[in-house]
Amino acid sequence: MARNLDELTAAEVATGVHAGDFTATEVARAALDAVESRDPEVQAFLEVSADLALAAAARTDERIAAGEEVGPLAGVPVAFKDNMHLIGTHTTCASKMLENYESVFTATCVQRLLDAGATPVGKTNMDEFAFGSSTESSAFHPTCNPWDTGRVPGGSSGGSAAAVAAGEVQIALGSDTGGSIRQPASFCGVVGLKPTYGAVSRYGVVAFGSSLDQVGPFGRTVADVALAMNALCGAGRDPYDSTSQECAVDFTEHLEDPIEGKTVGIVPELLEMEGLTAECRAAIDQTRRAFEDQGAKVVEIDLPNISSAVAAYYVIGPCEAFSNLARFDGVRYGHQEQGCATLAEQTSLSRAHGFGAEAKRRQMLGAYLLSSGVYDQYYYPAQQVRTLITQDYARAYETCDVIMLPSSPNTAFRFGEISDPTAMYASDMYTISNNIVGNGGISVPVGLGADSGMPVSVQLQGPAFKDRSLLQFARAVERGCARDALVAPGLAGKGGELA
Amino acid sequence: MALTREDVAGIAEYARIALTEDELTEMTAYMNEAVDMLQPIREYDLAGVEPTFHPIGDLSNVMGEDVPDTDVRALPIDVALHNAGSSRDRSFRVPSILGDEGGDR
Repeated sequence: MARNLDELTAAEVATGVHAGDFTATEVARAALDAVESRDPEVQAFLEVSADLALAAAARTDERIAAGEEVGPLAGVPVAFKDNMHLIGTHTTCASKMLENYESVFTATCVQRLLDAGATPVGKTNMDEFAFGSSTESSAFHPTCNPWDTGRVPGGSSGGSAAAVAAGEVQIALGSDTGGSIRQPASFCGVVGLKPTYGAVSRYGVVAFGSSLDQVGPFGRTVADVALAMNALCGAGRDPYDSTSQECAVDFTEHLEDPIEGKTVGIVPELLEMEGLTAECRAAIDQTRRAFEDQGAKVVEIDLPNISSAVAAYYVIGPCEAFSNLARFDGVRYGHQEQGCATLAEQTSLSRAHGFGAEAKRRQMLGAYLLSSGVYDQYYYPAQQVRTLITQDYARAYETCDVIMLPSSPNTAFRFGEISDPTAMYASDMYTISNNIVGNGGISVPVGLGADSGMPVSVQLQGPAFKDRSLLQFARAVERGCARDALVAPGLAGKGGELA
Repeated sequence: MALTREDVAGIAEYARIALTEDELTEMTAYMNEAVDMLQPIREYDLAGVEPTFHPIGDLSNVMGEDVPDTDVRALPIDVALHNAGSSRDRSFRVPSILGDEGGDR
C-alpha cells in the first residue's frame, strides 16, 4: 500500500531503508516531490539540492546492496539552515552580502548527518545572519508558517522549523543564539533542541555570538531529535572547534524511562509576566498536570536575576555580532562594491549595500557598546550579571531536575504584526537566559492554542550536559500531551508519496 | 544622555557601514531606544562579582597540533580565491589602502 513519506518518523525511514522496504532513492524522490508540491506555499527553502540528495541516496543504496554498514540515518531526508556550509550549495545566511557565496568546505554538523547516511534535501531560510525572531528579515523571501500561511514561522531558524512541520524533511538543523531553535519550533509545532553550549560542533557554521551560539536539531518527535543528536555527537568532540566538548552518549537510551519521583521546577514570576498569552500559560498548566500524572513533583523555584537576562543578552549578543561580522569586508568573499578609490570606501559601501537593516542595527549597537568609556558601563557589567544568572540556575538545579517555562510568550503572529525592532526582541524573553548560561533547552509541542488555533509548546531547560535527561522529560511531555497531527494538516499528504 | 545624530554618524564610520541620511535618522532613534532597554544592567551593585565571558567554566584549554592541516582545513589558493570579488596573481585584489597620499610609499 502506498504511503506518504510524511507519515514516517526519521527512525522509521532509516529502519525501512535498512530492511529494504523501500530504497533511499525512493525516499529521496518522495522528499523532493513533497518539496516541489509544498514549498511554493511555505517557502522554507532557499536552495533545493536535488542532485546532492539523489547522489547521497544512491550511495546509501549501493552500500546496502554491497552488504556494507549504513548509518542510523540511512536515507533520512534532512535540511540545513543556510548558515551551515555544505560543498555543492550556496551559504547565504539569507543576506545579499553572501548571495553568490559558494561553500568551499562542509560544516562538521552537516558532515556528521551525512556520515550517518542522511539525504541532504537543501538549505533553509532564516533571518538575515540569524538576527530576528520571525524569518521576515531574510533578504530573499519570507517563509510561511505551515499551519497558517498568513503567519510567520518564527526565527531565526524559521525555514528549518517550517520544513519539518510541512513534512518536507524528517530532520533539520538550526542554530540558537537567543532562542532561534526553540521559538520557531514552538511556532511551527515541532520539537526543537538547543543542546548545551559545546555539545555540537560549530565548525563551518557562520558565527553570530561566539559565547552564545549552538547548533541543534528539529524533528517531529522527541525520538527523532534524539536520533539526530546521536549522529551529531557520536563521533566525539570536533578538533576543529575549540568549544566542542566530548559528549558521546546514546541520546535515545533513556527516552522511555519513567519520570516518577523526579522534580520539575517552575518560576511563578515568569508566568505572571506581561505579554504571556492565556493559551501559552494554559500550556504550562496542561503540562504540569501531565507531569504530575506521571508521578513527577512540580516545585516552585526562584531565578531572581532572570528579568535582566534580555538586557544582558542585548549587550553581549550585539557586541559579539559586531566582532564576528567585521570579517565581511567585501575582500575575501561577500558583496564587493566596484569602482571605489580606497579600501575604506569599498569596505563601507560593501557593508552598507550587503547588509540589511537589522544586521546594520545589531552591529551599530555592538560597535557603540564596545567603544571606549561605554564598555565599562554596559559590556563588563553585563558579563557580571551573567555570573549572577548562572548562579541562579545552579542554585535552582539543587532542588529540581529540569525547569519548565513557556517557549515563547505567544503563538505565531501575522506577517508585519511586530514591526518595532525592540518589541521583536521581547519574543525571546523565555529563551535567552539559557544561552547566557550555556545550558540545554528544548521546545516540545503540546497541542493547539484555544484562541489562535496555532501550535503551543512548553520549554524545558536543564543543567549543562544533561541534554539526555532533557529528552527524557520531553518524551514524558509527548506521552502526556498527545497531538492530533504531527504534520501541518493543510500540507500533509500533498506530494511525497512513497512508491 | 541621548545619542545624537553626530554620535551615530561617528559610530557608523567606526563600524565601516556607510549610512544614508534617512538611515542615520532611523538608526539614531533605534540606538536610543535600544540603549534604554539595556538600563537594568546599570542598576546593579556589582562590586566583587566576577564576569563570565564564556559559558564553559572549569575546563582546560584545548590545544591543537602546531602543524598545517593541508588535508582538510587549509584551502588551496584557487579555492580560497573562489568567492573573492576581485583577485589577481594568486592574491586578493583591493583598492589603495592608504589613499592617494600613501600611494607611492
